Amino acid sequence: MFRFLHSHYHAFVQGLIRIKANWIGSVMMFLVIGITLSLPATGFLLIQNASQISNKIQYEAEISIFLSKDIPSEQINFIRSALEKNTLIKKIHFEPKLDAWEKLQAQLKLSSIEDGVSKNPLPDAFFISLNTLETKKITTFIADLKTIEGIEEIVIDGGWVKKLRSILYLVKIGIVILGCLLLTVLIVVISNTIRLQTLTYQNEIEVSRLIGATNAFIQRPFKYTGLLYGFGGGVITLGIIKIILASFNLVAHRVENLMGGNITLKAFSLEQSILIIVIAMIVGWIASYIAAKQAIHKLEKNY
Amino acid sequence: MIKFSNVYKRYPGEMDALQDISLEISSGELIFVTGPSGAGKSTLLKLISAVEKPTSGTIIFENQNLNYLQKNEMPFLRRKFGMIFQDHKLLFDRTCYDNVALPLAINEIDPSDIGRRVRAALNKVGLLTKERVMPMSLSGGEQQRLAIARAIVSRPSILIADEPTANLDRGYADEIMNIFYSFQQVGVTVIISSHEIPKTTIHYKEFHLITGNLQNVPLLT
Ligand SMILES: Nc1ncnc2c1ncn2[C@@H]1O[C@H](COP(=O)(O)OP(=O)(O)OP(=O)(O)O)[C@@H](O)[C@H]1O
Ligand SMILES: [Mg+2]
Repeated sequence: MFRFLHSHYHAFVQGLIRIKANWIGSVMMFLVIGITLSLPATGFLLIQNASQISNKIQYEAEISIFLSKDIPSEQINFIRSALEKNTLIKKIHFEPKLDAWEKLQAQLKLSSIEDGVSKNPLPDAFFISLNTLETKKITTFIADLKTIEGIEEIVIDGGWVKKLRSILYLVKIGIVILGCLLLTVLIVVISNTIRLQTLTYQNEIEVSRLIGATNAFIQRPFKYTGLLYGFGGGVITLGIIKIILASFNLVAHRVENLMGGNITLKAFSLEQSILIIVIAMIVGWIASYIAAKQAIHKLEKNY
Repeated sequence: MIKFSNVYKRYPGEMDALQDISLEISSGELIFVTGPSGAGKSTLLKLISAVEKPTSGTIIFENQNLNYLQKNEMPFLRRKFGMIFQDHKLLFDRTCYDNVALPLAINEIDPSDIGRRVRAALNKVGLLTKERVMPMSLSGGEQQRLAIARAIVSRPSILIADEPTANLDRGYADEIMNIFYSFQQVGVTVIISSHEIPKTTIHYKEFHLITGNLQNVPLLT
């Protein structure tokens, strides 16, 4: 165990030395990884904020049922009792056309006489909230409602929230796909860089093999170089996101002062930040694994 | 300990570098592989140390047929040899200390022992004062001795040296040969290639090669 740790420590130090020996290249690598990863990461952050906002919007299926204008009051009562019996319904509010009309008039500050609109144009209406969000149940419920005589029109509210959510979901998938593509690009770029590095260290690889180094021993420093590249790149990504957030929030704050409201983008949580660095490190590790494997494979033609 | 039976070695696109070699080396022997340039001395040493594969024939090392050795066993076989290459193969971007420490890292030696062992090896070849120096700034003879230090630091049971005294003047050459003799005296098998046999009073065995052929039954002195 101790030997194992020591050989990893040795490889880690070698990896560090290699990064330092070619520090300009290493900084470039950090930037390439950092900037590339910051694209999908920023996208994710925006989506995350957008879904948080959309979650805050109280989302119940609200249904407005408008009745025919000349509906008899017995039929209204029949509909009301039918609705009251339905277990899907949480809340029923009946608004007679007279009330609605008075409200509208009050709101618009007009009187029926002055305006010459003497006839009430509004229908009687039921406003109901459902205790379910399941599309299937809601659709059958609405289909049932439509068969009742005296119901003129049914309007479902809250649908836009759902639409927003499905759009967010689609965008999220898009970002995941984009992220995967960018990760693949990163793997190619990093492994190419490390492949070039193996050429620099070809002498060392060859000598090490000749004096009994296992492939794992030879690959290890490159793997640590890859891991460190990933780590550096991940840190740069977090830095870039921090800068983007800070500048966005600064601008948002100014707009707020002018117009009121409250828009602040929330940063990644600690776990998510660590996850970003871990993903970057995994990418570095895979890339270096591929590169080092290739380098050794070339030497393996003899024994 | 090492036994060649009808071993041939041909490099791709070349004539046979070695032909029909059969020989035997016992533990603790002092062996000289001699012959003119291009005779196949380096090739023979590479076959012994499993750096190269024979084209045909069998090589038995410690009762193990190297033809059947798994790839992943190879590193552990090679660790039994202390190799001094004709071109040294020093790492010029590492200090002398780090060059000598490399086999210890490969052998996963306890790190608390490494410093002591590296300095003992450097001391043995008279380079203790140069441990922080880069090999590039060493003289040819010093580089040769550094290569020896790297070969002996892991205390191998077999030392293989490819023309370790070429390009050295007489005084240095004798000094270096004495280092090898001292290892042979404590039981290490020592295999040295050289154009000619150096003067020595120690009992040795000679394999003389001419254009890839072993010339005579090994002469005993
Ligand atoms: N890696 C190689 N690829 C192709 N041919 C090789 C290789 N190594 C050696 N040879 C050929 O094999 C033959 C024997 O070479 P080898 O290096 O074993 O000779 P040597 O006795 O060590 O010579 P020297 O005294 O010059 O070191 C030579 O003809 C050489 O050209
Ligand atoms: Mg040679």
